[in-house]
Amino acid sequence: MMAETTRPPEWAEALLWWCLKSTNREDVSGDLLEEYRASIVPSRGKAAADAWYVAQVAGFLWRATWLWALMFSALFVARTAYDWRVPTTDFATRSAVSSWSGVAVWFIAAMWTAWRSRSFTAGLLIAMITSQIAAVMSVVGAAILLAVWHDAETHSAIAGSGGLAEVFTLPFMMIVPALIVGGVGSAVGSVGRKVSSALVG
Amino acid sequence: MADVLGAFEQAVLLAVLRLDDEAYGRAILKEVQERLERDVAAGAVHSTLERLVRKGLLSSRLGSGTPIRAGRARRYYRLRPAGVRALNDAREAVDSIWRGVTWPLVKAMSSV
Repeated sequence: MMAETTRPPEWAEALLWWCLKSTNREDVSGDLLEEYRASIVPSRGKAAADAWYVAQVAGFLWRATWLWALMFSALFVARTAYDWRVPTTDFATRSAVSSWSGVAVWFIAAMWTAWRSRSFTAGLLIAMITSQIAAVMSVVGAAILLAVWHDAETHSAIAGSGGLAEVFTLPFMMIVPALIVGGVGSAVGSVGRKVSSALVG
Repeated sequence: MADVLGAFEQAVLLAVLRLDDEAYGRAILKEVQERLERDVAAGAVHSTLERLVRKGLLSSRLGSGTPIRAGRARRYYRLRPAGVRALNDAREAVDSIWRGVTWPLVKAMSSV
């Protein structure tokens, strides 16, 4: 197969397309494709070149999501620490504050991405990926908390606030609300951009 | 006030300077990799280029595409006067910090 016509994995190209700003899509994806075809495929072969391409796309995705993921996981870890150190039986206020804060992060992430990329799908995708990167960060953060605080009192507080299983599985289940909130944020962002462009001319 | 440039920003600006009319994303990436003697992610170079354009240190224009890029346009970068000033300031700052110190340091230390 000629290197000049070889294509990287389609799904990776699509992911890259979605996570770039609409103004940079063509030149950035072109640069990556040119490097893939002109340098990487001839020197490393198709399979290794595909892996290289996927790694580059992962780098772009990481840049588009890490800050939102860090914000969300910081909220989760802070709430976890608060529940463990200041136990309560009335979680209503805490839940309201942490849930709405998390919703705000997903909403803004999706809206901002959809706005800059002019793509509803991009916003939705970034919200979903953010939720899963945040899940990994949250679990790592909670594990560090557990390594620091593992006395009987803390274990009792953990049991009273849902247990360890919840701490380590709940973040990954957040993909469902992230999808819903991300969808709303993306819709607002992409429609807002269209309206704004129409008004500006 | 002069812009404070990071080392990576300087590497990217100098790559644009060296490449002159051929300063587009992939060429800049390769030049930076060569100068820094390490693998650099394409995303790191592109986000830096974007930031430097935003800071007013670089200007950019779209060129034509080529078949190997599936016809996708190249974006060419050029230093703006503010970019030249920022590079000069960065070099001057480093020179000023090092003034009076014998280089390389190993030699200087052995003579103490």
